[in-house]
Amino acid sequence: MHRQTTAAPVTESTLPGPFEVGAYAAGLKRRLLELARVQLVGEVWSFRASRVRVYFELRDARGALPCSMWRTDFEATGVTLSDGLRVVVGGGCDYYPGSATSSPAFSFAVSELRIAGEGDLLVQLERLRRRLAVDGLFEPQKRLTRPLLPRTIGVVTGERGKARDDVLAGLRRRGWAGRLVWAFAPVQDRHAAPRIAAALRELSALPEIDVVIVARGGGSLADLFAFCDETLCRTVAMLPVPVISSVGHHTDRPLIDDVAAVACSTPTHAAETAVPIDCRAARADLAASTRRLHGHGRRAVLHRARALGVVSRAPREHVLRHRRHLHQLVRELRATARRVTDDGRNLAAVHLLVLRRIAARARGSQAADRRRTLDRLALALAAHDPERTLARGYALVEDRSSGDPLGSAAAARDAGDLALRFHDGVVAARVDR
Amino acid sequence: MNSQERSYESAVARVEEIIRRLDSGEAGLRETLELVKEGRELVEYCATELEAVSRGLEELRLEELVARLESAPGGPR
Repeated sequence: MHRQTTAAPVTESTLPGPFEVGAYAAGLKRRLLELARVQLVGEVWSFRASRVRVYFELRDARGALPCSMWRTDFEATGVTLSDGLRVVVGGGCDYYPGSATSSPAFSFAVSELRIAGEGDLLVQLERLRRRLAVDGLFEPQKRLTRPLLPRTIGVVTGERGKARDDVLAGLRRRGWAGRLVWAFAPVQDRHAAPRIAAALRELSALPEIDVVIVARGGGSLADLFAFCDETLCRTVAMLPVPVISSVGHHTDRPLIDDVAAVACSTPTHAAETAVPIDCRAARADLAASTRRLHGHGRRAVLHRARALGVVSRAPREHVLRHRRHLHQLVRELRATARRVTDDGRNLAAVHLLVLRRIAARARGSQAADRRRTLDRLALALAAHDPERTLARGYALVEDRSSGDPLGSAAAARDAGDLALRFHDGVVAARVDR
Repeated sequence: MNSQERSYESAVARVEEIIRRLDSGEAGLRETLELVKEGRELVEYCATELEAVSRGLEELRLEELVARLESAPGGPR
């Protein structure tokens, strides 16, 4: 029971007391805490946050209740509150008894909080989407340059989700086999958004990371609500590394899709977007480029070589041309000299011939005289030719062994063996003694 | 293009530009040789980049990468 003070009571009152207010307040707190913990439904109004607690009023047409919640608990829900949002809260009455220097306060202490229905959730989502758009947070990520060929890709996803396999399949399809850094985080419960935001911050702080994929398989919009978290979306919007989101399916559009550099319908598609080129095709293209460059280079070198050849041949041909010309001149000179010499020689020959003729003419009369003398001598000589005597029937007696003519009978006897030469032949004879 | 600002996409774009110029036949001899030299360097760079993502997928957890960077000489970058 409350301790009664020594102060005098109000004279005419029949009520007990007076009691010390602090003690009464503490008692009230105890009594309120004894009330059953319940769930309440209503609309949120006048939301505000202090360093450790958040405060709002829960209202409906018939009444209202001040509510408070530990800030850490509230942030763990991933819910963003705004005026008019219908929520279900779980908790119980609480009372802050105050003190000599602080005011007391009653509140419904909320330990659980969720959006009352999907319709409300969509309304809230649209409000937040508009707010982010007004703040210009849809643009920064889209202005980032996404690498055509990232070396290192960060992936934020659930450790056991199917999204992980889908990302790997997408990368395999691109022929990409670089470095993949997994940052595993819960992707659907109330702790998801802060953990995802933290993973994204850590990944983007590493200079090795070229692009980040945030992937989760499909689910209801309520399940995907973690990816609509305002803090997460603001974090993504301001990251210096491009973020590719793949959360849910076409029909769902979580807010992270709006602030990310690219939103994809599936984790496989997100992986293909992270590596926009087919690495196998890129290798083939590179080989083709190499061949073309080589061809151009080779042609250029050949062209240069030909040009140099022409340039280098020019002086040689010039010299050759002059040499040919000189040779021609020499030949002409020689021919001219020969012609001049021949002309002189011919002239000399003519002169010689003339002289010879003159000489011959001079010698002609002497020759005739000599020939006539010779003929005469020949006739005289012929008259003494023994052959002519033999022809007239005489015979010449010769020594058969020596061939000497024998002019006397004595000589013939001495010789013994004779040869009698007639004009038509020789007859052998022996001297008969 | 200096190596600080060089990226695979910028290198590929420049190679394509070089080949277009060479194909046009408008480049003189000296320019052709310079373009071919630049093109070969860029192709070599691209080949290195492609090679880096062709050696086989390396999977790491974020905390492993962080630990590796912290234990590397010079600490985390």
